[in-house]
Amino acid sequence: MPSKRHAASTTSAPAASTPTSTPKSLSSGPATLKTNASAAEIAQHVWQQYLTTTPQRTLLLDAFMFFLVLVGGLQFLYCILAGNYPFNAFLSGFSAAVGQFVLTASLRMQTSGSGPGSSKPSSKGKNARFAGEDEEQTAGISHERAFADYIFGSLILHFFCINFIN
Amino acid sequence: MRWCLALLLCCLLAAVNALSSSGSRLLVVQEDSTEKSLYSKLWADLESRGYDLTFESPKSDKLALFEHGERVYDHLLILPPKAKGLGPSLTPKHILDFLQKDGNILLALSGKSATSSAISSLLIELDIHLSTDRSAVAVDHFNYDTISAAEKHDVLLLQRPGSLRPDVKAFFDATPPLLAPILRAPVTAYGYNPKEEIPSAEDIQATGSQLSLVSALQARNSARFTVLGSAEALEDQWFSASVKAPGGKKTSTVNQEFAKQLTAWTFKETGVLKVGKIQHHLATEHAERNPKIYRVKNETVFEIEVSEYAYDKYVPFEVPAGDELQLEFTMLSPFHRLALQPVRRTETSTVYGAQFVTPDQHGIFSFRVNYKRPFLTNIEEKHEVTVRHFAHDEYTRSWAISGGWVWIAGLWSVIGGFLAFVVVWLYSAPSSAANAIKKTQ
Amino acid sequence: MAQSSLDALLKGSSGRNTRGLLRILILCTIAAAAVSSRLFSVIRFESIIHEFDPWFNFRATKYLVQNGFYSFWDWFDDRTWHPLGRVTGGTLYPGLMVTSGVIYHILRFLTIPVDIRNVCVLLAPGFSGLTALAMYLLTGEMAPSPSAGLLAAAFIGIVPGYISRSVAGSYDNEAIAIFLLVFTFFLWIKAIKNGSIMWGALTALFYGYMVSAWGGYVFITNLIPLHVFVLLCMGRYSSRMYISYTTWYALGTLGSMQIPFVGFLPIRNSDHMSALGVFGLIQLVAFADFIRSFLPGKQFQKLLTYMVFLTFGLAFTGLIALSATGVIAPWSGRFYSLWDTNYAKIHIPIIASVSEHQPTAWPAFFFDLNFLIWLFPAGVFVCFQKLKDEHVFVVIYSVLASYFAGVMVRLMLTLTPIVCVAAALALSCILDNFLVMSTPKGAAQAKANGNESKSLRSGRNPLVGIYSYFSKAVVTGSVTIYLLMFVAHCTWVTSNAYSSPSVVLASRLPDGSQFIIDDYREAYYWLRQNTPDNAKIMSWWDYGYQIGGMADRPTLVDNNTWNNTHIATVGKAMSSREEVSYPILRQHDVDYVLVVFGGLLGYSGDDLNKFLWMVRISEGIWPDEVSERAFFTARGEYRVDDQATPTMRNSLMYKLSYHNYQSLFPPGQAMDRVRGSKLPTETPQLNTLEEAFTSENWIIRIYKVKDLDNFGRDHSNAVAFDKGLKKKRAAKKRGPPILRTE
Repeated sequence: MPSKRHAASTTSAPAASTPTSTPKSLSSGPATLKTNASAAEIAQHVWQQYLTTTPQRTLLLDAFMFFLVLVGGLQFLYCILAGNYPFNAFLSGFSAAVGQFVLTASLRMQTSGSGPGSSKPSSKGKNARFAGEDEEQTAGISHERAFADYIFGSLILHFFCINFIN
Repeated sequence: MRWCLALLLCCLLAAVNALSSSGSRLLVVQEDSTEKSLYSKLWADLESRGYDLTFESPKSDKLALFEHGERVYDHLLILPPKAKGLGPSLTPKHILDFLQKDGNILLALSGKSATSSAISSLLIELDIHLSTDRSAVAVDHFNYDTISAAEKHDVLLLQRPGSLRPDVKAFFDATPPLLAPILRAPVTAYGYNPKEEIPSAEDIQATGSQLSLVSALQARNSARFTVLGSAEALEDQWFSASVKAPGGKKTSTVNQEFAKQLTAWTFKETGVLKVGKIQHHLATEHAERNPKIYRVKNETVFEIEVSEYAYDKYVPFEVPAGDELQLEFTMLSPFHRLALQPVRRTETSTVYGAQFVTPDQHGIFSFRVNYKRPFLTNIEEKHEVTVRHFAHDEYTRSWAISGGWVWIAGLWSVIGGFLAFVVVWLYSAPSSAANAIKKTQ
Repeated sequence: MAQSSLDALLKGSSGRNTRGLLRILILCTIAAAAVSSRLFSVIRFESIIHEFDPWFNFRATKYLVQNGFYSFWDWFDDRTWHPLGRVTGGTLYPGLMVTSGVIYHILRFLTIPVDIRNVCVLLAPGFSGLTALAMYLLTGEMAPSPSAGLLAAAFIGIVPGYISRSVAGSYDNEAIAIFLLVFTFFLWIKAIKNGSIMWGALTALFYGYMVSAWGGYVFITNLIPLHVFVLLCMGRYSSRMYISYTTWYALGTLGSMQIPFVGFLPIRNSDHMSALGVFGLIQLVAFADFIRSFLPGKQFQKLLTYMVFLTFGLAFTGLIALSATGVIAPWSGRFYSLWDTNYAKIHIPIIASVSEHQPTAWPAFFFDLNFLIWLFPAGVFVCFQKLKDEHVFVVIYSVLASYFAGVMVRLMLTLTPIVCVAAALALSCILDNFLVMSTPKGAAQAKANGNESKSLRSGRNPLVGIYSYFSKAVVTGSVTIYLLMFVAHCTWVTSNAYSSPSVVLASRLPDGSQFIIDDYREAYYWLRQNTPDNAKIMSWWDYGYQIGGMADRPTLVDNNTWNNTHIATVGKAMSSREEVSYPILRQHDVDYVLVVFGGLLGYSGDDLNKFLWMVRISEGIWPDEVSERAFFTARGEYRVDDQATPTMRNSLMYKLSYHNYQSLFPPGQAMDRVRGSKLPTETPQLNTLEEAFTSENWIIRIYKVKDLDNFGRDHSNAVAFDKGLKKKRAAKKRGPPILRTE
């Protein structure tokens, strides 16, 4: 599981950037981005967009997620280099990072869902009606509730990991 | 403690009762009470060694080996009957049952009379084969007694038997799994039927040392059965005769001594091994004795106490040089086969022990000591123990493995990061919450 | 059943609270009905554990209660699989035992003195009540009207397909697993609807519980990812999905790895790979979605498909590479037999020999599900009409479960819940439309008032709906009749087919009175009381758990068929000549051999009928020594009469079954009532074993293995001697002794 996720996050960057350039030329591009923008430009654009639109608290979340990716990546690297002898320890150490990452990502979606989520319906096309439902329901969860859920999930995760690492 | 008492009791019993380790009631089956006198020296000898002799004729109605399913006698000595069989109470089946119940038998045959079919069928059950001719005798034209059998050459002169194998204790200063020939015929002897007119070479059944003049059989339950080829050897006449081999000097026979040894062995005065206390435990101080369960890779100690009965008392048993008492730790097949070494010695016994590590395989194992040697009673001990796997808390912990430190560090850094994040999040809560609310609006 | 339709009637006129109360009451009634219909066997026979596997669970529970949790966790069982033993604590699903242990301790704490056996016997009915509740919740998520939930609860309460595994005394993993299955699915639906971490975590917790209870958890492991995958393919990605799925997967996987028996399987076994793959996929999708929030444009549809294909390809090649290099455990045999029904028959006789693993016969569907089976497609259709996320789930579940139920009889159990859901959806759809009195009436009246000149009939036509009382009455009446028939059918099936403990057999005498055949227990108690505590019993593996549970004696093999070779060894001992079998028996320290023989009574589940499986299984290991062909006559028949092949007649199983059997009959009249054949006149000669016990109806026969002969003879000679036969002196050349084992 962990390897897959990691592979996913590394491969997704080029995968995301290369195909975007071709369809972009077909559609009428938005104002800020030229139609024949290169991959690097798009990436830079994304980065700029990200820095400007993300609230400070979400940045905190992202920092934490980055830290988790770092920890997980290091462990995975070490596993490849040095072998996974106490396999249960490796698993629990690594999956703690992955699990925490996933939970944090979920928290991020719930708390900042209103930010990026608001732009969804316009771009969604035929799925708009479902997206509309999304909107209603994610908005139904308050931030406090989401955070409490997050703590709950994390505690379970930590309990399992500590138990498993023996 | 209780075991010590039992041993003490045993010793007392032995001292009071008789010399034999298994009781003193001896039945002599003899067809003709007049023949009793022929063996008077033997009887006197036996009585002096503490046996209660009972004489019965095979035809007697009172003769019964069992009463209410239990043995009435401990030992049985059968002198050759003249009649065809041994009567209704001594059928081969009865005799085998007698052996089954740990009774000992000394069966003497004679060249003078034909062997009854009952006896020979009994012997065949025990894998002792007599010559097909009922009245065959063994003759030897080189080692005969020139005094009494100058013509017939059917009185054989033999050296005292040597030991069967170099590693066998010699009780007869003196022999196969259950069956051992005690006295073999000399190489120059052959089976011969004196009634036949012309002895032809084809008729000869067995020659030389293929012939066993005295054979012993020890059943799996250590009941002993001895066949003496010639009852005459026990007669008074031969106890103190002097013989002369062709070309040899005139010497006196040692039949009396031999008879004593033979009866002593058959009636379990010698060669009886007894297993005393067996214990096994972990090789730690104050470990529980004889636990039912071990774990894989436990250091284990096994000890067995063996004593040997010698005529009137138990003495420590010594394994002959070149032989060893072995311990097997077995599940389907032995995982360990170890020589047991003498650890210490008590007044009546030797304690043998071994220390080993249980194999890395869980299952139901057994400690086995299987010591079967000719002329010694069998030791066959089997003690089952369970060897279990590691319990969940007996594996090495992750922190004890240096390779695991990385992951532990990873895990705790995640948890630490989580805690720090929660604190920062809560600290930054008011402003950003307001921010978020603004945004949604 | 009737109440639920009544509820629909009352709905319009009662207040909200009253309806809530009524619903609770109805649910309680349903639960009570579910529990009570499972008590047939207790009333008919007694409070006894049924069948085979439950005996082991019962024994394990007793161990747990006596020795505490930790020693149960580390339990090394030295009374089964002699002499290998079984690491029981690490090779079972502890959920069931722990559950009943907890219940027992709670009851004890409340100073209610109960016997652990009664807890075990009544656990399954108790949990079936809870299942009905969970079913109500699950179906309630699917349909707006509560009548569907109530109907589904009532269906699951009494449907024979579920009762078959949960009657009182059937103390098996499935008893609690179905409840957990339904409840986990409910939580999952809840999670995907709400998109909250808490529901996801709860799903994971119950999933963990499910993993600890039943090997069928793999079904959930594959169904939920499939659901997510299908939703992704339909382009219905949402953050709710991400949250609930990733939370479930991360926590659930870790939770399942806490069970020693599962261990690293979720990482290694290919059965679990789909969940991992979908986990990776959803990360990608989430990332893409995240990027999309910064990049406007319609191209994301394409981007998404690109990524789907890319990951799918990557995951697929990765899976193949890992499987090929052997990092991932090979696909398990049971898994193969799911896809290819002939696979097991060819490769793994031990799996094929279990009747539960046979493909399902068509009548079984109707027998177990009755009219639900034809309401089932209708329900699926209803789901297609709405097709929200949860309805997609129902559709996927029903397709998968239908297939699996067709492949294996025992998987009928996983089909049953979804059939109940779908049927309830369909039926409630019908009832909601046909039973509503007030609204259509008003509409009709309004219509009638508005267009007085037109006839009523023509006025109604343009309206969509059913308003005629006649059609309402017909439909309602027929539904009621079907429901009543369903109840009658369920009751009948439960009482006749599923309430037999199979430890105690019941038959009818010609005069109609019941005749109890209690041979099994008779024989097991004989063993318990007449043999030393650690006498090893050899029998075919079917009876291993019962011997362990009832006779409390060590066995060689049992129903936990973890070691095929050991089972084949027993098969070999049974199917070989005595001279071959005896060393095997000696080597494994066997003291008694137990065979089941139905020839006298006509009891068809006996060992001779299972004999071919023994032969096949041992042939799989020793093809040179055991050959199935040798047990058939030249014309390819399996016979036991005087036409039987010599191999058959000399096999230990044959001898043990028919030993002394002929003495029951006048000479030449011996009949085997199971196989309906006349037996040879001479009874088989048995040398190395002696008869120890034969039960009243000869169903169980126990033989004692003789020790080595005291005088070193081989057993046939010893037996001949005991019979008074004299050994022929002429027959001299004796072969080398065969029977030396040590």
